Amino acid sequence: MINFLQVLILGLLLGGVYALMASGLTLLFGVMRIVNLAHGVFIIFAAYLAFFASDKLGVDPLISIAFTMPMMFFLGIIIYVLFFPRIETSARYVEMTVLMTFGIALVVEGLLGYFFTGIFRSSRPGYATDSIIIGDIFIPMGQLLALTVSVVLLVGLWLFLRYTRIGTAVRATMQNRTAAQIVGVNVRRISAISFGIGMALAGASGSLMSYLFPFFPARHWQWVALLLALIVLGGFGSLKGAVIGALSLAVAAAFVTDQFGPDWSPMTFYLALFVILMVRPQGLFGKALRI
Amino acid sequence: MTSAELSAEAAAAALAEQESGRSLSRRIALGLVVAFVLLLPATQPLVGSYNYVMQVAIVALMWVAMSSSWNIIGGYAGYISLGHNVFYGIGGYVAGLALVYWGVSPFVSMFFAGLAAMVFGLLAGLITLRAKGPSFIVATIAMLFVISLLFDNWELVGQSSGLSLPLPPFSVIWIKVPFYYAMVVSAFGATYLSYRVAHSKFGLGLRALSQDETKAEVAGINTRLYKMVAFGLSAFFIGTAGATWGYSLGYLRPTIFFAIGTAAQMVLMAIIGGRATVAGPVIGALLIVGINEFSIVQFGATELNIVVTGGILLAVLLFFPLGIVGSLREAGRLPAFLDWD
Repeated sequence: MINFLQVLILGLLLGGVYALMASGLTLLFGVMRIVNLAHGVFIIFAAYLAFFASDKLGVDPLISIAFTMPMMFFLGIIIYVLFFPRIETSARYVEMTVLMTFGIALVVEGLLGYFFTGIFRSSRPGYATDSIIIGDIFIPMGQLLALTVSVVLLVGLWLFLRYTRIGTAVRATMQNRTAAQIVGVNVRRISAISFGIGMALAGASGSLMSYLFPFFPARHWQWVALLLALIVLGGFGSLKGAVIGALSLAVAAAFVTDQFGPDWSPMTFYLALFVILMVRPQGLFGKALRI
Repeated sequence: MTSAELSAEAAAAALAEQESGRSLSRRIALGLVVAFVLLLPATQPLVGSYNYVMQVAIVALMWVAMSSSWNIIGGYAGYISLGHNVFYGIGGYVAGLALVYWGVSPFVSMFFAGLAAMVFGLLAGLITLRAKGPSFIVATIAMLFVISLLFDNWELVGQSSGLSLPLPPFSVIWIKVPFYYAMVVSAFGATYLSYRVAHSKFGLGLRALSQDETKAEVAGINTRLYKMVAFGLSAFFIGTAGATWGYSLGYLRPTIFFAIGTAAQMVLMAIIGGRATVAGPVIGALLIVGINEFSIVQFGATELNIVVTGGILLAVLLFFPLGIVGSLREAGRLPAFLDWD
């Protein structure tokens, strides 16, 4: 029983971070129908920023969120303006975004590998190895802090989408792009801002990754595959789906790790993906996809 | 008969003559290419032991086989797969295991390796092809990771450290020649398959469903079956190419076959040459192999190579998404020797 509770808690702690990582990805799809295969590589890019800030300047990884988020926000707007307005009218748009972000991911991965080499990195703030022990349950401090940050940011994102003018415009664009344009939403501006927000969320995720998960450039494929799997589970473009998908799959993966060892835990995500495709191809909370 | 009718008839006759002349010159051109490809190994004794040209030719033929095969599902059917190198790995491992455990030469077992890849493709298609668009792409990536994870942890195939294969029983001078011909078989086979698919009712069905699946279904096309068969067919020659490649390396390792960059190359080659055309993937493969060789010579084997791959992909998507063959055709300037459709 204690073991069950312990595994459950570890799974939920990780799930919160996965939810933060996936939120940017699902937002991009929701607003712009962009399947961002480069999401993982941008998280890793931000993780390098946080790592070097901590290594060279002694900035705490959690503090580094204060600059990784705005930097990635602006980078996101630049990338959006450079690549996406051009393909907006193309016939196979969703597919184009996949190929386009695939190309971006390869370029960024190559540059990261060239400048920072392929060795494993991880920053080691004091709390990364601390833990709280309550009875027989132990809670790693670093993951607890990461979960707190994730919850704060996700709630912030929700409040932003719910209660601000821009947030309302973003939701309107998500629901119906053309109709939003008719009622006076500057859809292209909203798209650029959403891309920025998605990337800012990747930035925050990167700061957390820099001390939670050892990383190197080519690692991003595993991350993006995992995040996409849980997004397909939750339903493309649904924030609620992403959060629920992240939590449930992280818990399932924690139990798989407990039973079969850590090598097999990524398998949980992919098998869940296949099962959901067999049973309900549009995902738990997704609408049937029109392409 | 009026003079107008007469001249129309004459024009038609002239057109037919021109057409037959074109097909004759095309046949001659094709004959020359085939003769050149088949006779290239005759230069081997002139070069002596290590033949750089032969090695590059083997690599180029391998990529021709892979991108032409990918084009069947990714081009004609419009279902982009980013996990197609699974078949490459399955081909390589099936032939490698047959050699290590039963002593069967991969030049024989490559066809069974292709068949194994095809069967696996049909089974994987049952699951992944339930999804469309982005979900399908995600599913193919997941398929790649599942298989890669299995091979990383499976003792029979040597886990992540892989398998060493016995050396091929040929003299050093001629060692590349059988590999070359095996790749010729894969490359020509894949291109011919792609040609046959493009010119069949089946291929027409695939193109129809790539435009609009519901309408294709209404028109009486069994879209699920068509997609599955396309997925399976596209696996065969990738499997045979994998079998040959693994043997030529002398060892098998999951990282060689299951890197997503390999899938990226196939996709890039087919797109740069022109998706859903017969000639496109061949041209794309030759071009990209050339560029890769050049960038390795220039920059060395660094991470910058994938920057080049990704950069070219982006440039093609932004500036000529139809690819070389597609763009030329749209401009009405496709030279006859590239028009294989």
